[in-house]
Amino acid sequence: MSSQSTEPATVRSLDDLEVIVDTDFHLTERQEDIFPYLEDPFYSLLNSQSDGDDYGYLGRVYPSHGMLYSVTVGKADSPTVRTSEDIQKGKDLIGWDKAIATPTQNLYLGAVHHDDLAAALAKAYNRWLLDNIIDTDNGVYGAALVAPQKPLKAAEEVDDLADEPGIAAVMIPSGSVDPTLGNEIYYPLYEACERAGLPIKMHNAAGTMMTRFPTQWRSLNRALPVHATSHNMMHQVNLADMLTQGVPVRFPDLDFVVQESGLGWYPYFMRRFDHDYMGAKFDAPMLEKKPSEYLRDQFYLTSQPVEGADDPEYLNQIIRLFEGENSLMFSSDYPHFDFDYTDALMKIMRSEFNGDEIKNIYGETADQLYQF
Amino acid sequence: MATNTDPQNADADNLHHVTAADDIEDGERVVVDIKGREIAVFYSNDEYHALSNYCTHQGGPACEGLLSGTIDVDEDDELVWACDDEIVSCPWHGWEFDITSGEHLASDEYRLPSYDVHVIDGDLYVEF
Repeated sequence: MSSQSTEPATVRSLDDLEVIVDTDFHLTERQEDIFPYLEDPFYSLLNSQSDGDDYGYLGRVYPSHGMLYSVTVGKADSPTVRTSEDIQKGKDLIGWDKAIATPTQNLYLGAVHHDDLAAALAKAYNRWLLDNIIDTDNGVYGAALVAPQKPLKAAEEVDDLADEPGIAAVMIPSGSVDPTLGNEIYYPLYEACERAGLPIKMHNAAGTMMTRFPTQWRSLNRALPVHATSHNMMHQVNLADMLTQGVPVRFPDLDFVVQESGLGWYPYFMRRFDHDYMGAKFDAPMLEKKPSEYLRDQFYLTSQPVEGADDPEYLNQIIRLFEGENSLMFSSDYPHFDFDYTDALMKIMRSEFNGDEIKNIYGETADQLYQF
Repeated sequence: MATNTDPQNADADNLHHVTAADDIEDGERVVVDIKGREIAVFYSNDEYHALSNYCTHQGGPACEGLLSGTIDVDEDDELVWACDDEIVSCPWHGWEFDITSGEHLASDEYRLPSYDVHVIDGDLYVEF
């Protein structure tokens, strides 16, 4: 096909894609991976005994939600992803050309009680990531982890890693942030990310509901209702605060990626927030256009977990309603129990979206955003 | 499907050898490739059951996961352990299937194809 052609590409299967980018490929890091990279005083403090107590240090450092998942009871497997060999297995299954590695245990970093230790753990994780995981020749990129408990140290960490070629983004484990992400304490971090040209990935974990919505978490007392509501709920809270405080106006060159929360709530939230904003401009005086326009211009959504994959009419409309052809990015969430297989979304989208739009979602948009 | 020990019911052309019946311990399974189909044959609670190993959800190896039971409620709505060794979970996403019928526990839209199993002279055959 001529490069001058204006006809949309034809995409019938994954084989027709030139590039597949997985924007949420998880590592399953363990304390023994991270602890050797800790800096003092925490290296000396935590490595002074061989194994800590019977529970292991991380079992005490990261709060445990105690919820029973299919993986906990053995009904689903969750492969280990801690080495390049592990990554290759996931790469072969999902079939990506490039992926951004994100953590698992450290989705709970924002819930770590000791804030200086949290910042040290983030730094140690990033050094482990650079030494052992990132492999740009094989398409393996990473997101620099920052501890929201210490925004100034987080900004320093971004400055330190800004020129590392394998670092494609900054990740805020956003499920436990206190205060929420519109607060001015985060502005130095946002400035650093904007300066570094790195988008910010916002990623919650279901169990972090125990920290920001503790009474609801206690009341639900099963994993299913927590998992089904927590990711999008916390994203709505953070986005509402960020828009109200004018974060996208203050940092016009900064992009945000909303991870792992499904799709349907997003076009709802755009319209609901616009609706309320029309009668409450005094609450958000920084904004110069409708809130949803900031979301369209500076925010991206990752695809997994795709709800309604058995309902094309629903799913295609939902993606159109937030102009997902420009802002939705494929993610697998491998190796977690609710990962999406690569063609789950494409099978539906072919009936509504043209090849260029599908290519955007499966890789082109990510390629432009992350500038690998 | 329950085990069928009467080979008269089956057309010999439709019977496909799996393995010797003794090769599968109670609570175990074998996965075999027959004419391009991956089929799992389970031996559980003194019965043989055969199901497709291709998950109707997203194509995972549905019959290679945990063979266990599940939680149900009794007539008083008390939680009880049910269907011991009759529920297989797809290792990709944990979807639970009843090996005696192939039915997904939460939806009748995702049944795994099931096959009759015949025991003939100590050998197992699936019919399709």
